[in-house]
Amino acid sequence: MPKTMFDDEDGTLAMLRDSVGGFAEAHPGAKALRARRKAGGDLDRGLWSAMAEAGWLGLMLPANLGGADLSIREQAVLSEALGRALLTEPVAQLAIFSGALLRDAPAGEERDRLLRGIADGSLLVTAAWQGAGGKAAPVKASGAHPALTLTGTCHFVAAPVSATDVLVLAEGDRGRLLVSVPAGAGGLSVTTRPTLDGAVLGAVAFAGTPVESGRVIAAGAEVDGLLASAIEVTRLALAAELAGVASRALEITVDYTKQRVQFGKPIASFQAIQHRLVDMWGDAEFACCAVVNAVERTLGAGGRDGRLATLAAKARAGDAAVGITRRAIHLHGAMGFTDECDIGLYMKRAVNLNATLGQPEELRLAFVDLERSA
Amino acid sequence: MQTDWNALPDEDFRHVFRTWVDENCPRHLRFMRKQRPVFDEVAEWYHALAAKGWLSPVWPREHGGMGLSAAKHIIYVEEWARLGCPRIPDHGIGLVGPLLIRYGTQEQKDHYLPKILSGEHVWCQGYSEPNSGSDLASLKTAAVRDGDHFVVNGQKIWTTLAHCANWIFALVRTSRDEKVRQKGITVLLIDLTSPGVTVRPIPNLREEADFCEVFFDNVRVPAANVVGVVDEGWNLAKAVLGHERIFLGAPSRPEYALSRLIMLAEARGAFDDPAFRSRYARLRLDLYDLCSAFDRFAKVLRTGGELGGDVSVLKLFCTELYQRITEEMLEIAGEEARFADDLDANGSEVDAMNLYLDARAPAIFGGSNEIQRNILAKAVLGLPG
Repeated sequence: MPKTMFDDEDGTLAMLRDSVGGFAEAHPGAKALRARRKAGGDLDRGLWSAMAEAGWLGLMLPANLGGADLSIREQAVLSEALGRALLTEPVAQLAIFSGALLRDAPAGEERDRLLRGIADGSLLVTAAWQGAGGKAAPVKASGAHPALTLTGTCHFVAAPVSATDVLVLAEGDRGRLLVSVPAGAGGLSVTTRPTLDGAVLGAVAFAGTPVESGRVIAAGAEVDGLLASAIEVTRLALAAELAGVASRALEITVDYTKQRVQFGKPIASFQAIQHRLVDMWGDAEFACCAVVNAVERTLGAGGRDGRLATLAAKARAGDAAVGITRRAIHLHGAMGFTDECDIGLYMKRAVNLNATLGQPEELRLAFVDLERSA
Repeated sequence: MQTDWNALPDEDFRHVFRTWVDENCPRHLRFMRKQRPVFDEVAEWYHALAAKGWLSPVWPREHGGMGLSAAKHIIYVEEWARLGCPRIPDHGIGLVGPLLIRYGTQEQKDHYLPKILSGEHVWCQGYSEPNSGSDLASLKTAAVRDGDHFVVNGQKIWTTLAHCANWIFALVRTSRDEKVRQKGITVLLIDLTSPGVTVRPIPNLREEADFCEVFFDNVRVPAANVVGVVDEGWNLAKAVLGHERIFLGAPSRPEYALSRLIMLAEARGAFDDPAFRSRYARLRLDLYDLCSAFDRFAKVLRTGGELGGDVSVLKLFCTELYQRITEEMLEIAGEEARFADDLDANGSEVDAMNLYLDARAPAIFGGSNEIQRNILAKAVLGLPG
């Protein structure tokens, strides 16, 4: 079955895959998803700590702050494995996105405190930066440091209830700011909406929320750069996760159609079914290839080359995962339409991740704009 | 002293190969409309390659080939396509040579291989028959033993370039096993100038002759022309393509078509139309990702591995993408899509209709895409039945 193929001379990647496999046996993803959904929660604190203990939350963070100092290659393999195992805690947002924003920011007490907390799981650092349309939309920062206050609302905030700290994109009189605010800060309020994959996202409103002294992480033009690279690395991790979802959903469906007997034969023996499965397999294979290409270009030439490849990978893997899981549901017949059957959870997860940080059409158009602007 | 090309770093080999090819492949043969020119049209290029010793990339050096590894062979094919070199009649180089080198007798190798390199023998491939296309093992062209000869009767069809070939390597039926249809098939080398052979070109959709019917009426073929063992030719025929299967999915055709689509779109201002931009983006990304997928399989070869059945995913994707790109060319040609000749794009000619028609074939040849899906279903997904 399709998976990302990287050189793995020292076996790190195989170890990562195994570690997720073992973890998922102890904590089945579908079960955790259903439990979280039933509780109306945004994150499973126990699972989160176990993931931190496994070393997954600081994979690309500096070793001196508790991270593993590994590259996007290892992160992609980990994310792919999380996708396969349907482990749906918000790793992409709280560990990868927030981690990337902070990692590349200037060193400082607050930045280092947050990074340590991300890596060891003690802090849940979410980012508030999107407007209702999904684009970057800074809230208003009034006054001057250290008497800075925030006003405005951010959307699509992950783990909005459990978060301990919020990284906020703000626009002040002298330009962009990235600041951190404790979750319980004055004037901060959260409204939640359930997501398709059994969690919640929040709209976080700031009404004169004060920014404490020493909590400005970055300022000026640098902020946009941090944001762009955090988006890029998270897109690539999401692409890998989507490839994992796609590949596992295909496997489940192949197994099911081999077992399901109609007209005295397994339905997988019918050509109409076989050709669909082959097309699904091809889509998953291409998704994995696109992820590998993006990782290698990011680590190789980087820059524009890496950006193009990442846009392509997220678009390809998103389309593949959504398309495969949708067809998978169909091939499960009426069973596929039940809540009891896990295949539906894969579809919901795929739709959710596909909609995170850019749908395929938007990414493809961005690719063409970037390529043709040269 | 022959060069050990495999000892050169990839990029050095690419440079050496590209430089010489660019200097020596005649300009008037570059980017030909015709996918399959006949021998005489490209003879000067064929002989130039032979004189340089570069006609046959994968044959071992002792047989006059370059002895390229799969990885170097990929570079050879990539540069060939990038420079727009014409396809030469290559059944001798690509199929007969490897078949003989692997399964032929010493006499066969000594006799046939030099004549392929010199261009004296031009080969074609006799596999399909009127009622044996996708179901090739049902083939009926009969070869009956008569002393030290076989007498061949029957018909082959869709035989590419038979009208410019003087030899055919054919799958013929030497016996019949009702249980295993693949048994009783033999590979036979047949001189097309023998009495009783008739070759009739079939005009294709582009009104060009590139495939033919070949009729055999009591054609006498020396028994020494059997390759391998009588009745055991099926596996031989199947094994002849090794790493070359990757080239059925090489991105060069869709790449070329997309470059023409871009020319046409720029000339007509189509990039200002958001609907076109959206459709273009999908095609562009499909091509980009095809290249990533091609790299994934090429990497298997570069690291010394062997391709599995899964490589045919490239063929499926590549041929279907090629079709979709050419369909888009007609879409933006608008009313002009009614014309058979080329379209103007800011003074350059774009052969949109030529490509549209050309793109119909690759989804059929080399095993139709439906047959490929059947094979993938069993070989990769392990589906029953």
